[in-house]
Parts: sequence; C-alpha cells; structure tokens
Amino acid sequence: MRILTRFRRGFSLLWERKWQVLRGLACMPISALLVLWMAQLLGRVVDRLRTHSDGGYDESALLEDCLLLAAIAAVDAVLRFGGRHQLINASRHMEARLKSELNAHLAKLSISWFDRARTGDLLSRITQDVELVRFVTGPTLLYGTSAIVLVPGGVYLMLEFSPLVAGAALVSFVIMLAGIALLMPRLHKHSKAVQEAIAEISQRAAESFNGIRVLLAFARGRGEVEAMSQLSNRYVDCNIELAKLRAWFNVLIHACREIVIIAVVVLGAIEVGNGTLTIGQLLTFLALLGAMVWPLIAIGWIVASWHRAVAAADRIEEVFSAEPEAQTGRDVELHGRIEIRGLTFTYPEQSQPALIDIDLTIEPGQRIGVVGPIGSGKSTLLAILLRFYDPPRGTVLVDGIDILDISPKSVRKVFAVAPQDPFLFSDTLGGNISFGHEDVDVEGFAAAASLDTDLDAFPEGWETIVGERGVTLSGGQKQRTSLARALAADRPALVLDDTLSAVDLATERRILDNLRSARGNRTLVAIAHRLSIVQESDLILVLEDGRVTARGKHAELVRQPGYYADTWRRQSEETMLERGLPE
Amino acid sequence: MVQFRGYSDDQVEARLDFAHLRDIWPFVRPYRGAFAACLLILLLSFGIEILGPFLVRWAIDGPIADAADGRPMDVSAIAWLGGAYLATSLVGTFLSFSYGMLTAKNGQRVVRDLRLHLFRHMFLLGPPFFDKNPAGKLVTRITSDVENLNELIATGVLQTVFDLLKIVGIVAVLFLLDFDLALFGLVVIPLLVGVSLMFRRYARDAYRKVRSRLAKQNAFTAETVGGVRAIRGYGREAAVQQHFDELNEGTRDGWRETILYFAMFFALVELALRFSQAGLLYVGGRGIFEGTVTAGLFVQFWMYFTKLSEPIRELGEKYNVLQSAFSSSERIFGILGEAESPPRAKDPVESRPGPATLRFRDVAFRYLPDVPVLDGVDLDVPAGTTCAFIGPTGAGKSTILSLVSRLHDPTEGRITLDGDDLRDLELESLRRRIAVVPQDVFLFTGTILENLRLSDESIPELRVREAIDAIGAADFVNALDGGLHAQVEERGATFSQGERQLLAMARALCHDPDLLILDEATANIDSESEARIQRALDVLFEDRTVLVVAHRLSTVRSADQVIVVDGGRVQVRS
Repeated sequence: MRILTRFRRGFSLLWERKWQVLRGLACMPISALLVLWMAQLLGRVVDRLRTHSDGGYDESALLEDCLLLAAIAAVDAVLRFGGRHQLINASRHMEARLKSELNAHLAKLSISWFDRARTGDLLSRITQDVELVRFVTGPTLLYGTSAIVLVPGGVYLMLEFSPLVAGAALVSFVIMLAGIALLMPRLHKHSKAVQEAIAEISQRAAESFNGIRVLLAFARGRGEVEAMSQLSNRYVDCNIELAKLRAWFNVLIHACREIVIIAVVVLGAIEVGNGTLTIGQLLTFLALLGAMVWPLIAIGWIVASWHRAVAAADRIEEVFSAEPEAQTGRDVELHGRIEIRGLTFTYPEQSQPALIDIDLTIEPGQRIGVVGPIGSGKSTLLAILLRFYDPPRGTVLVDGIDILDISPKSVRKVFAVAPQDPFLFSDTLGGNISFGHEDVDVEGFAAAASLDTDLDAFPEGWETIVGERGVTLSGGQKQRTSLARALAADRPALVLDDTLSAVDLATERRILDNLRSARGNRTLVAIAHRLSIVQESDLILVLEDGRVTARGKHAELVRQPGYYADTWRRQSEETMLERGLPE
Repeated sequence: MVQFRGYSDDQVEARLDFAHLRDIWPFVRPYRGAFAACLLILLLSFGIEILGPFLVRWAIDGPIADAADGRPMDVSAIAWLGGAYLATSLVGTFLSFSYGMLTAKNGQRVVRDLRLHLFRHMFLLGPPFFDKNPAGKLVTRITSDVENLNELIATGVLQTVFDLLKIVGIVAVLFLLDFDLALFGLVVIPLLVGVSLMFRRYARDAYRKVRSRLAKQNAFTAETVGGVRAIRGYGREAAVQQHFDELNEGTRDGWRETILYFAMFFALVELALRFSQAGLLYVGGRGIFEGTVTAGLFVQFWMYFTKLSEPIRELGEKYNVLQSAFSSSERIFGILGEAESPPRAKDPVESRPGPATLRFRDVAFRYLPDVPVLDGVDLDVPAGTTCAFIGPTGAGKSTILSLVSRLHDPTEGRITLDGDDLRDLELESLRRRIAVVPQDVFLFTGTILENLRLSDESIPELRVREAIDAIGAADFVNALDGGLHAQVEERGATFSQGERQLLAMARALCHDPDLLILDEATANIDSESEARIQRALDVLFEDRTVLVVAHRLSTVRSADQVIVVDGGRVQVRS
C-alpha cells in the first residue's frame, strides 16, 4: 500500500473534516441504491401498463407509482447535492491546508535551499501539484463511493434478468474501460506537448519583447515573426494531434455505448421472444446502462489520472522532507559589534572557497565600505552576517558571541539591508516602506532616500499599489524605496548592497548627504561599485577573488596602485564627462 | 495591520458585444469552406440523432411487442432495425469524429493567423507601444487572449446557433409525434432552462471571483519565494504566513460558493430530468390506457428528452466561453487598431549602403506636449567621422541617438541621412545600415552565434568568427563549451560586464554597419577589460560614421567632434 503512505499527509488533513467526509461518503452509496430502485420501478410500471388489460392496474395505481418515482428522485437529488457538497468541500479544505502547511514549511527552509531550488518548479509544486492531488481526491471519493454500489448492484440486477444480455453489456464496458486506460496516458502526453508548445511561444514572445530595442534597431522584426510562425505551426500540429486523440476518445465512448444499446435491444428482443424477459425489464436494463456509463467513464478517468497525482504527491513530499534551517542559538538583544576572524568560507557542494581569510572588526556606529569586482565575495560576506549561511565556528562573532550561538532571527534584527535589486511586494508604496512596522514616518524616510521628489509620478501618492501587480517603478525608484524601507526598519546597522547603482550622480550626492544625519548613530555598511559611496568610510575593504587585497581609508587607497586607484580614476573621468567639462 | 493591500478584490466586467465578430471575419474568411463543411456535418448529425429513437420505437412496438404478446417474432425485422441502428451509429460516430477534427483544425489555423498578425503588428507599433506596455502583459495577449478566441472561432458561434436550432427542431418533432406528450414536455423545458440560466449566472460570478482570488494567491506565493531574502532579513515570516493563510482561506471560501452552485446545479438538472421522466410516465401511461400511446413511442419520447437536456446545458456553458472570448478580442483588436510608429512613408525611398552623412536641423523632441526633451538641435556628422556626446544623465544624449534609428521621430525639425529625410526612407533599409551597442547589453536565450547575427542567416558564420577575432572576444568565446555554438545562460549573467560589452561590439561588427551608435559601458569594467575594449573600439570605429555617448576621456580625445548635451540643448566643442 505504497499509495497510502504517499497520501498520508493528504488523508490526515482530509480527516480534519471527518464528519464532512463521513456525511458525504454516506450520501453517495444511498443515492446509488436509489438510482437502482428507480430503474427497477420504471421497468415494473411499463410491464404493468402493458398487462393492464389483465386487470389490477389503473390510473390511480399509475399515479401512485409516478409519485413514488418523483419522491425517490427528490430524495436522490438531496443526497447528490449533499454528497458533492460535503466531499468536494472537504477536498478543498485539504487543498487549502496542504498549501498552508507547505508555505509554513518553506518559511523554515534555509536560503541555500532556495538558492538550489528553481523558482518555477517550486511554484508549480505549491500550486499545480497540490491542486492536482485535490483534483483526483474529490472525484475519487465522490464517484468511487457511488460506483462501488452502482456498478456491482447494476450488474447483479442485470444478471438476475438475463445473464446473456448482462454478459454482452459487461464485455462492452470492459472494452470501454480498457480503451480509456489505453488512451488516457497518450492524452496526457499530448496535452503536455501542447502546453510545452504554448510555453515555447510564450517564452519566445517574452524574449522578443524584452529585447525589442535590439530587434528594432537591427531591423530583425521579420526574423522574429518567421521564428514565431514556425513555433505557431508546431503548436497547431500539436493541437491537431491532441484533437485527433480526443476525437478517438469520443468515438470509443460513443461506439461502446451505442453497441451496448444495440446488443441489449437485439439480444433482449430474442429473450423477450423466448419469454425469459419482459419489455419492462428490458427498459430497466437500458436505464441501468444509462446510469452506469458516466460513473464508469469517471472511474476510467480517475484511474488514468492517479499516476499523475501520485507523482504530484511525491514532488510535494520532497519539499516537506527538505531539512529546515538550523535554528540553533538563542534569542539575544544585540548592539551589533561585529568581529570576523580569519573567515574562510566555501559554499555547500562547491570546492573553491568564496571567502578566504577575512579579518574585520566593525564597531557600532562605524562606516564601513566594501568594494571589489563582481564575484569577489561581497555578497557572500553579507549573506554570512545575516546567517543565511553558517560560517565555521569561531570565525564570526556578534557582541562577542559566536554567530552560531545566536538565533538567525536575533542576528537578522541587527541589520537593515537595502539590496541593489530589491523585491517590492504588491502593496502600496507606503506599505513597502513601512514593511510591517507600525507608526512609521513614511514621508520622512522617503525624503531621506530622496524618493519624495518622484511622488508626482505615483497616481495615488503613498497609497499607489506597486510591484508585480501594480505600477512599475524604475530601477532607481525601486532602490530608493528599498533604502527608505531599510531606514524605516530602524536596526543597529544599515547595509547598502550596491543600493544606489541605478541612481544618477546628483541624486546620489543628495542621498549621501541626507544619510549623514538620517543614519543617526547606526553602523553603515556600504557595499558598492561606485566608489563615491564609500569615499567617506572609516574603513574600506577591497575584496578580490575572495581575499582582502587592500584596506584603509579613501585617501590611502587612491595612492596605492591597484583595483581601487584604477576604478577611482575611471569613475572620476566619467563624472567629469557627465559634467560636460573635457580638457 | 494594513498590509499587502495590492490584493484587494477587483473585478473586470466584460460586455457581450457581437460587433467583434465582424473584426474576426477577415481571419475566418480563408477557411470559410471548412466552416461550411462543419455546418453541414452538424445538420447531418442532427438528422441521425432524430432517426435513432425512431428505430428503437419501431423495434419495441414491432417485433419485441409481438414477442412479448406471444405472437411469432419477425426476426428479419429486428435484424434489419438493429443493422440500421448500427449503421446510423457508425455514421454518427464518423460525423462526430470529423466534426471534432475539422473544428480543431479551423480554430487552430484561424488563431495561428491572428497570433502572427498581432505579433507582426506589435513590431510595427515600435518603442512607444513597448514603453507603455510591460512585456508580461503583451505575452498574455499573444498567448491566453488569442487562445481564448479559439473556442469562439472553432465551435462557439456555430455550436451556439446549432444548439438553438436543435432545441427548436426536437420540440417540433415532439409535437408532430404526440401533441399531449409534447405539451407536457414544454412544461419541463422551461424548468431545465431556468435551472441552467440560474446556474450560468451564479456559477460564473462565483467562479470568476475564485479565479481572481487564486491568481492573487499564486502571485503572492511567487512574490514570497522571490523576495525570500527580504522577508527573512526583516523577520517578516509570521506576517507573510498570516497573509498567505488569509488569501488561502479566501480562495477556499470562494470555492465553497462555486461548490454550492455546482452541487445544486447537478442535483437540480438530474431532478428535473427525473421529474419529467415521472411525469412523462404518467402522461404516457394514461395514453397507453387510452390506447393512444405505445411503449415504443414512450421510449422514443424519453430518448428525445434526454437529447434535449444536452444543448440546454451547453448553452449555459457557452455563454461563459463567449463572454471571455469577447473581452479577449476587445484587447486584441484594441492593439490591432493602434497606429504604427514610426508611421510608414507614403513613397518610401530605399536607403543605399555606403558612407553615411548625418544632419540634424533644428530638431526638437518631447514625449509630453509641454516638456521639451530636446530643443533646437543642429548637428553635422560627415561620413567616416566620430562624434562623441557628453553631459549629465537625463540631458538627452540617449534621446538624440534614438532619433537616428527612428525609435522615435522628432517633434520638430528634420534629420537627414545622405540628404534624405529619415521619414522618407524605407524603415528596414535605414535600420539595416545602423548598428547599436547599448550600455546594458541584451542577450537572448540561444547560442552565441544566434545572438551575434540575431538569427540573420544571411550573415555567414565565418564573418561572425572574424568579428569575434577582430573585437578580441575570441578567447573567452572559444573557452565556452561549444564555442560559438554555446548556449547563453541566464540572459548572459555568466559573462562579466566587459565580456558582454565585447559581445555587443562583435554583434555590431558582423552586421557591418555604415553608421554605428554606441553607449559606452561604465560600471564593473576591470582594467584588463578596459584595455581590450579600447582596442575593440579602434577596430569598430574604423571607416564608419560613429555616434558615441562617451564615458571615458580617451574616447572623447579620439573623437572628431565633441557635443555637450545639457538641458535638451547641444553645444559643439572642438
């Protein structure tokens, strides 16, 4: 019963609604019994009608039977409603709980886990895979419990009437089920091909639109349309293949149903001739066939979908089985004195160290600059300070305590990071700045980050919705929002992670001026490519290939030949040209 | 706590507007024969559907009744009727198969044509269009919106008309067969229609609501995964979980509503059918007592009734499909109605390759009526010379360059290339003479080769190799696994800034432009890359007319003229 262990989590969540499930499960078999009863009653009435001349059946008896039929139908309708309502709701409850638990589990996983996970894949697990499990669970309960009674009951009744006719019907059903089981996997395969084909179109279009300026400038529009035309043709072919399968699927069901009817009518007619079957029983037969076809199709469909649901459940379990982030360490209030002693760090599953032998002491209130080319280890250093990754014991201390002995939550409370490419949530501009902190002087912090000058660009001021589902901000506006957010968080240390890279020089100047007073007595750690940002730092660290290749104040570093002096010269030239003053 | 308010409920109402069918017609027209065939198939299959129950009735009232009443059964009659039924089933199956295939083909082809037309048109709309529409939104137009039209085109209109016809047709047949029974049927049909209509409205609204909630929940999930570092860094895990649970429960409650309607609908449709069955049994039974109705007629009636419920149910569902298709077509034809930018010249002149001389005469440009970006710009760039632009960010340097390749047109004044006004030139021939090296290099998913020649097969691979050699990018390109045929990963994020710049220069060089537009890269270039870029520039600038936004002194020094751009005005130095 491997399937049961796979779905254990789903079942236990479903069981949270056990009365709902039980009520629903009780409804469906009873409804199935009523369907059988109605089919029988129909046949009996027709037989009585045919033999009414023999006496004993009149209009009032007919009316009674018809009313009984209507009454059964009414009860059946209530049961059908109840069964579907209870079971599908229970399955939706399971889906919601599963999503919530997944989300809660994700919150515990380490950043390095997120680094390894591919975003698209992860999202499809949280959304589509959970929905797929739900999608199979609900109907399985609903049609399963109904079919368990309906199919054996129907077969029993048929056998009682006429084993020959029942045999013919059963053979057709078996063929139909076998056909469904055979076609379903292909249907899945082809619908996947169709999805992939449209995904390709979508990706290609996204590429074209993102690179539109290049394409327009090089007059390559025609080439893109040509490529799109090929993709579209392939998509059409995939769709026609799928349509063909679907058409065959319909042929199968249609043909089976019709052939059953012919077989039943022809064979039944012969039996009627032999006197072993009445016309009424023949009608009951046809009614039973009609009632059984749909649950059988549903069963075929469910059986064929189960392997996908099992695969989806496995992918979900994989996320659940990922180890949560180490929660070692205690909660402490920290001032933010940071000591790094001979830190060498290698990312998990990599051989080359990202940081080699780093020494650094940051006193509260100091201004520290970290510069260096891309990939020199600046971001790694920051990630370790935030305990997104664990360094070797004894190499990083905060307030004299080894970082491994401090809970990640406490460590992170020391820093307010403003990243270069910040993530803005679909929320108001103000909400993105206060970011959950109450009574925040949004305007004040926005002014310090020089964002107030752009307020006119936002239709509803601080109440404008921004982010994925709102107004798109320019790179510079995003960065300044991120800075305002970091200031609003009011943490002992403010970290600028190349925060002002998309901001023009004049604005940068203004922000740096504002920061002098806005940062108060907070520590300022500035990671930057533009040296004007670290120029005033008490200590500047130059990182190259994971090592500190130079350290000191700006005045000292510009005089030493090397990365810092080179970069300074280049950036000064650029600034000069921006001011329009050559010579 | 007021938070994440981006997710408040919002609903878009779409109108049912048949005017769009006229817009769609030109795309359907080429396949009108196939659509006519579909209509024919539908009519034929309707005939088959009417015929089947007659055969069943004849079998029951003929040989079967004989047998039941102890008369000798006419075996040949039952064989004949069985055979006829089998034949009609086979023909019906064949027709439904052909219908499925034909409609799929028709819909897909029309939709493909529409998609390509839309895609091509977007290119003609130019930068202003792409500036105001995010790429993600446009991708949705090309994919889901076009897709939404598929069902409308393939089966929507035809099927809806036919469903209506079918209902009328079956009712007519019922009346011809037996007036009393048919009259009873007319009582039941409104009941079914009523249930369907009610369901249609409530379920659609509920479903739409839950779809929009689910979309928001999924978007939030995507944001929390993308923004995981910000959430952890600021310790916002609990608030995120709380908000997620709110959204999640909102979605679940939304589902609860749809489940209620669906459960009601399925139960009620079943109930309506059963009630009419009981009623039919009673009315028919009385007819049997009176001798006006036979068992066969009763069964035939019953079969028609079952058939009737199908188009009625379909109509309810089709309404939703049509509605979403109409709102999509509104968006699509809205784009198709937009004017091309730049506008096409009346009698375009082909711009011929050769040395390029560029002139600006009193050029002004503004995005908004009262905000001039450029004003009174006069420039002369003789063929084969280099013109460097300097000045503060936002002063208009990039705008001047964008006017040359006609990404925008001047609001006033004129720009000429070799004496021809740019606006009179055939756009593609103009752009083929120009190559652009932007500051921020865009690399497409694909091989290096495809990225350099931009899938222009007329540029031989050899020329691309020569360009790479000349630019000095050969060493790192050849070091890649697959060399020139290596796939660009993560939009080129694996390359350093300097390498990306070199690739952009190689891209320009292999297109061998007469006029080169270049925005020098600044950030993150190490000293070694800088020296390489300097050598590459020397190669690239040779024998070409060059407009360059300069960020380095050496570029300014080697330029033939230097233009200072400030506040939208230009000043010529040296």
